[in-house]
Amino acid sequence: MLVIGENINASNNPVAEAIAKRDEGFLVNLAKAQTLSGADFIDVNAGGGYGSLQEATAAIKWLVGIIQAAIEQPLSIDSDSPEVIEAALKEYHGERLIINSVTAEPTRLESIGPLVAERQAWVIALAMGTDGIPTCVEERLTACERIMSYLTGLGVKAEQVLFDPLVLPIAVDTRQGMVTLKTIEQIKLRYPEARVVMGLSNISYGLPKRKLVNRAFLLMAAYAGLDAVIVDPLDNKAMSLIKVADMLVGKDSSCRTYLRAHRKGNIVD
Amino acid sequence: MPEDIISLIQESVIQGRIYKDDEGMDEGMVGQPGVTELVESALASDLSIQSIITKGLSGGMNIVGQKFEAGEYFIPDMLASAEAVSAAMDILQPRLAASDIKTKGTIIVATVKDDLHDIGKNIVSILLRGAGYTVKDLGNNIDTQAIVDAVREEKPQFLGLSALLTSTMARMADVIQMLEQNGLRDQIKIIVGGAPVSEEFAKSIGADGYGADGFQALAVVEALTSGTEN
Repeated sequence: MLVIGENINASNNPVAEAIAKRDEGFLVNLAKAQTLSGADFIDVNAGGGYGSLQEATAAIKWLVGIIQAAIEQPLSIDSDSPEVIEAALKEYHGERLIINSVTAEPTRLESIGPLVAERQAWVIALAMGTDGIPTCVEERLTACERIMSYLTGLGVKAEQVLFDPLVLPIAVDTRQGMVTLKTIEQIKLRYPEARVVMGLSNISYGLPKRKLVNRAFLLMAAYAGLDAVIVDPLDNKAMSLIKVADMLVGKDSSCRTYLRAHRKGNIVD
Repeated sequence: MPEDIISLIQESVIQGRIYKDDEGMDEGMVGQPGVTELVESALASDLSIQSIITKGLSGGMNIVGQKFEAGEYFIPDMLASAEAVSAAMDILQPRLAASDIKTKGTIIVATVKDDLHDIGKNIVSILLRGAGYTVKDLGNNIDTQAIVDAVREEKPQFLGLSALLTSTMARMADVIQMLEQNGLRDQIKIIVGGAPVSEEFAKSIGADGYGADGFQALAVVEALTSGTEN
C-alpha cells in the first residue's frame, strides 16, 4: 500500500497558521515526522481563500520550497487551481511527484492534464465530473473512463494514474460503503495498471467512534483492490492496519514487512 | 383520545418511524403505528393540520435537535426523524395547499460556485421544511448570478448559503454584494453556514445570521422570522 501523508493541509488550523506566518520549523517537522512513520509521498495543500492568485501561488511555492529541501520523499501537490499547481511545479525539482487532482470536468481536466503529461507525473483522478459526487458506481466509472481516455490521449500511461473512487458518508446513505467498494473492484478490473487511492475519513462522517469505522473500511477496501491511501502517518493504529491489510491480501512476502515493523515496536492494536 | 394522537405523532418523529413495521431508535417498536398511520388517524379525528405540524412534527424535531446537540442522537438518527417529518408533510401538503394556512416563509438555499458539498445544506432544507417553511434548493456549485436571479424571481424571505471550502466561502460575500447592487438586499435575511464559516465571518460579510449545524440554522431562521413579524 502506497502511503500519502495528509497532514500538511491548510484546512487544519495549526497548519494554516504556520503557512500564513511562514513558520518553516513547524511544517518541516511535520513533514519529517510523516516520513519517519513511513509515508511514501507527502501531500501539501496550502489552502484557498487567498486574497489574490499572487498570494496563493506565493504560499504554495514557499511551502514546496521548504518541504522539498527538508525531505527525500516526493511530494503530492494538492490544489484544485491549475495556476497554483503550475506555480508549485515550477518550484518543485523532484523527479517523482503526484498531482492531486483532476476530475472529468473538462476545464479542470484539460488545464491540469497537460501539466501531468509534461512532467510525467502521477496524478490522482477523482471519479466524478461536472455534476458533483455521483452516488452510483456506473457514473463514477463513466467519469474514470473520460479521464483515462483524455490522459492517455496526451501520452500519460495508466501506471501514472491513481483513481479515487470517492467516499460518501455511510451515516447519510447506508449504500455508500458498497458503492465505493464496487467502484474500486471495477476500476481494478478495467485499468489493471492504474492504482486506486482513497482517503480514510469520509466514510465515518457523522458517526461516533469514527476511527473504528475508518479502519474497518480500510480493510474492506484493501480486499476490493485499494493500493494507495491518503492518511495521517502519525496514526500508529492506521499504519499498523495498512501493513496487516497488505499482508492479508498476499502482498507481503513471508510477512516480512509486518514482522519487521513488529520488531521495531510499530505494530499497535 | 384524539389529543394523544398528537403526542404519538411527536414520538414517532423522535423515533424516526414512518410505517407500522418500521423499527425505531428504541427497540420493541415494530408493530406500533408509524407517523403516516398516525397522521391519517389525526386527520380522520378532525384534528387541525396546524396542531399536527406544530405540536406533532415541529415539536418532535425540536426534541430531536436537543438530543443531537446533547450527543445522544447522531446524523443517521436525525435523518430518520427528518424523513418521518417529510413523509408526514407529503400527506399534509395537498390539504395545506387547499387551506388558508400560510407557509411561515420561503427560503432559497444553495451551495456556492465551485463547491460541491451539500450534506449540511440538505439537512437544513429538511429541517426548515419540517418546521413549515417553503424551501427552494438550488443545489450545489451555483453561480452568484443565478442565486441573485432566483432571489429576484422568487422573492423569498430568506437566503441560505453553504460552503465547505476556504477557497469558496468568499463567494458568499460576492452574493451579498451583488444583491446590494441589484437593490435586493433589504428584502431578505441571509444566513450562512459550512465548516470554514463562523459567526465572525458571517458578520464580516454582512450576513444576518450563522448556523453551526442544521438545528442552529433553524433556530436562527425562527428568531429572524419572529423578529420581522408584522
